Amino acid sequence: MEDLTLVLRRTAKEILEKGEAQMVIGWEKGAFWYSSTSAFISKPEDTERLIWDEYCVNNLAKYLLDYRHKEGKVAVFVKGCDSRALNVLLQDKQLKREKILIIGLACPGMKDEVEARKLGRGSSIPLYKKCRECRYPNALNYDFFIGEDKVIKEIPAQDDFSEVQALESLSPDEKYNKFVANYERCLRCYACRNICPACNCRECIFDRTASGWSSKANNVSENMFFALTRALHVAGRCVGCGECERACPVNIPIMLLNKKIIQDINALFGEYEAGTDVTAKLPLGGFEFTDPEEFM
Amino acid sequence: MSVNEVTWQPKILVFACNWCTYAGADLTGLSRLQYPATVRILRVPCSGRINPQFVLKAFQKGVDAVLVAGCHPGDCHYTTGNYFTRRRFLIMRRLMEYVGLEPERLQARWISAAEAPKFQQVITEISEQIRALGPNRKLRDEEWKI
Ligand code: SF4
Ligand code: SF4
Ligand code: SF4
Ligand code: FES
Repeated sequence: MEDLTLVLRRTAKEILEKGEAQMVIGWEKGAFWYSSTSAFISKPEDTERLIWDEYCVNNLAKYLLDYRHKEGKVAVFVKGCDSRALNVLLQDKQLKREKILIIGLACPGMKDEVEARKLGRGSSIPLYKKCRECRYPNALNYDFFIGEDKVIKEIPAQDDFSEVQALESLSPDEKYNKFVANYERCLRCYACRNICPACNCRECIFDRTASGWSSKANNVSENMFFALTRALHVAGRCVGCGECERACPVNIPIMLLNKKIIQDINALFGEYEAGTDVTAKLPLGGFEFTDPEEFM
Repeated sequence: MSVNEVTWQPKILVFACNWCTYAGADLTGLSRLQYPATVRILRVPCSGRINPQFVLKAFQKGVDAVLVAGCHPGDCHYTTGNYFTRRRFLIMRRLMEYVGLEPERLQARWISAAEAPKFQQVITEISEQIRALGPNRKLRDEEWKI
């Protein structure tokens, strides 16, 4: 990946020098060897800061929203999952395609930062769970591609819903107790929402306490209201990037809700992989006359 | 708040579409068809108006069950509202069951303006199911804890 870092820097530099974009969003080395953080580069000489290593897990697509009303273009580097996120933002009409320059990458899978901290430098660090399960490691929609657009990572044949299914087999009270145990920890910091590409509402109901939907009180009922509402809001648009779970400071397994919905959408309305096709219709933004009928 | 198990009666909230189920409920009354006084009917312009948040809020505020009711597919006053409702609640019912709510506590039915006997029968049925399950303690706000 070191060689690609050079290509990445060169590409970014050219883009800025030629004025093809006003800014390039990529990654630079963070405070620790196991962290790489987002970098916002607008001077050609600063492109030296850019890197591409196995800790570039941050999904940069959502940052584009901060620049959508600015003049000119913004260039962004995307892995497979980031690319799906970007596609969802385009499908939601939050971004204009002509205002962004997309540089695609082939992702080998990102290493788990938490494990890296525990195991130490030099040891073999496992990939993030979402990366082990990832079926679209390469950018899907791009203007340039760095390296060769061929998959360099093992691809599982199917999405893994085993955890969802294990939960489904429990009794209602067992399920509820687990749900409560997870969400009584929630701080309602909204980090999961802030990082989520599908959570792109200009005004989020959770910022509008005066509307009466959700108070600032931190109790398990309000927390569950938040969790279920957010899960339903992103239904059909969640790309499974796992960023919500990674951002959560109290390690709530948020993906358990997202995956349940993905599984059910597949089963009820046909296979749908959010963000893999920028022209696709959203499953909950439409219907078929032949949808399953349970309400007679 | 505590529940008196002897006097407790289920509290069921029905979101009823103005054009069909609400009129159906009206007809049930006009036809003198008895149904349990466990329901509170809330009229909405179309079943498509029923936001999942309404349902969550209702559980927070202490209802024991929610019925989402609208026009039969093909009969929506706004042509397609109920097809969206169908997708939305197929997903939501499964999600609620997944987090531990008993499936009987969130149901959806198509009931037309002419289907007074169906309204009577659905309400009776749900009331009996909820009576057997007892009060809902899940998802409740502090204020409404029992
Ligand atoms: S809900 Fe989580 S996994 Fe889904 S798109 Fe948002 S951040 Fe990614
Ligand atoms: S939680 Fe809902 S309202 Fe808030 S940003 Fe996400 S999708 Fe929008
Ligand atoms: S990031 Fe975690 S703690 Fe913060 S609001 Fe989301 S689920 Fe709750
Ligand atoms: S008008 Fe009754 S469901 Fe739309």
